[in-house]
Amino acid sequence: MESGGFHGYNNNLPNSSSAGMKLIEMNMRLSEINNNNNTSEDNECTVREQDRFMPIANVIRIMRKILPPHAKISDDAKETIQECVSEYISFITGEANERCQREQRKTITAEDVLWAMSKLGFDDYIEPLTVYLHRYREMEGERGSIRGEPLVKRPVHEFHALAGGTSGGVAAYAPAAATYHHHHQGFYGGGGGAAMGGGYFKDANNNINVAGGSSQAAAHHTVTNGHHHEAAAYAHDK
Amino acid sequence: MRQPGTYSGILTANMAGRMGPHSLPLARIKKIMKKSGDDVKMISGEAPIVFSKACELFIEELTRRSWMITMQGKRRTLHKDDVASAVVATDLFDFLVNLVDGSTTTTTTTRSTTTNETEITEK
Repeated sequence: MESGGFHGYNNNLPNSSSAGMKLIEMNMRLSEINNNNNTSEDNECTVREQDRFMPIANVIRIMRKILPPHAKISDDAKETIQECVSEYISFITGEANERCQREQRKTITAEDVLWAMSKLGFDDYIEPLTVYLHRYREMEGERGSIRGEPLVKRPVHEFHALAGGTSGGVAAYAPAAATYHHHHQGFYGGGGGAAMGGGYFKDANNNINVAGGSSQAAAHHTVTNGHHHEAAAYAHDK
Repeated sequence: MRQPGTYSGILTANMAGRMGPHSLPLARIKKIMKKSGDDVKMISGEAPIVFSKACELFIEELTRRSWMITMQGKRRTLHKDDVASAVVATDLFDFLVNLVDGSTTTTTTTRSTTTNETEITEK
């Protein structure tokens, strides 16, 4: 009797023990297909199942975020969703690739992927993906630019106070560079503030120095001992 | 004790562990992209990153819709049939129709004939 509840990873052991069986099945089926269709690259026979799909543990983890704790997932449902993900990637990539070819470009870019998603009906994904991509770019940019500079870890103000000075939308997430570190402290300024025309940072005395840019940011800022909460949402002591 | 603020909590929760190690393996995504067509040439570094998040959103949506069907059947175990029903019921998932339905035929992949060793179906 299975102990119920929320053990997302319990199922990995049985899966992995039957992985060998699945590989055998997979190879048999691939040989079958190759024999029937005469398509062939020899390496089709040796394509490992795990190369065709996202790792099932990752898939399960994401599913568990959505499902209530008491929910159970059958093995075939997990596998089906695993297959669907790969199909999704192929589907979008195919469309993105076609666009590249039409425009005589060789490299599929992130923009091509986003365009293909929009074209194929996944409009709802575009905004969160754009935000995600911008954050990634900000972080990558910061990583490159701060190398060798002293990294000043300071509590950083809530981004939404700064957002008051921006045009909103994606630009509002530019300060996300400051949250690169696990505990929302970070060096904020320079490149990170570029989208807002400048950022600000706090010096050792928790004074706000606005490096060009929005004076609104300074106005909204409340300095309380390294706690940086805005808009009265939290009372912090000490 | 330090509490994350409303927005920084969201940002850090999304960023920590996601921007560093991505949720889904980028190399695997790239492999699948390459296999989508013979003529896929080059893939920018950012494209798999977009996909890692997109696949997460996709899994979430598919799971959500499938679970709704499970609940309608007053069950607590999400079955493959629930996924199939969700696919059929959603226009956006038309491209999956053959995948979820066609697995009853021999030429498409039925990945395992043994099922549910670890799950008790209903309680």
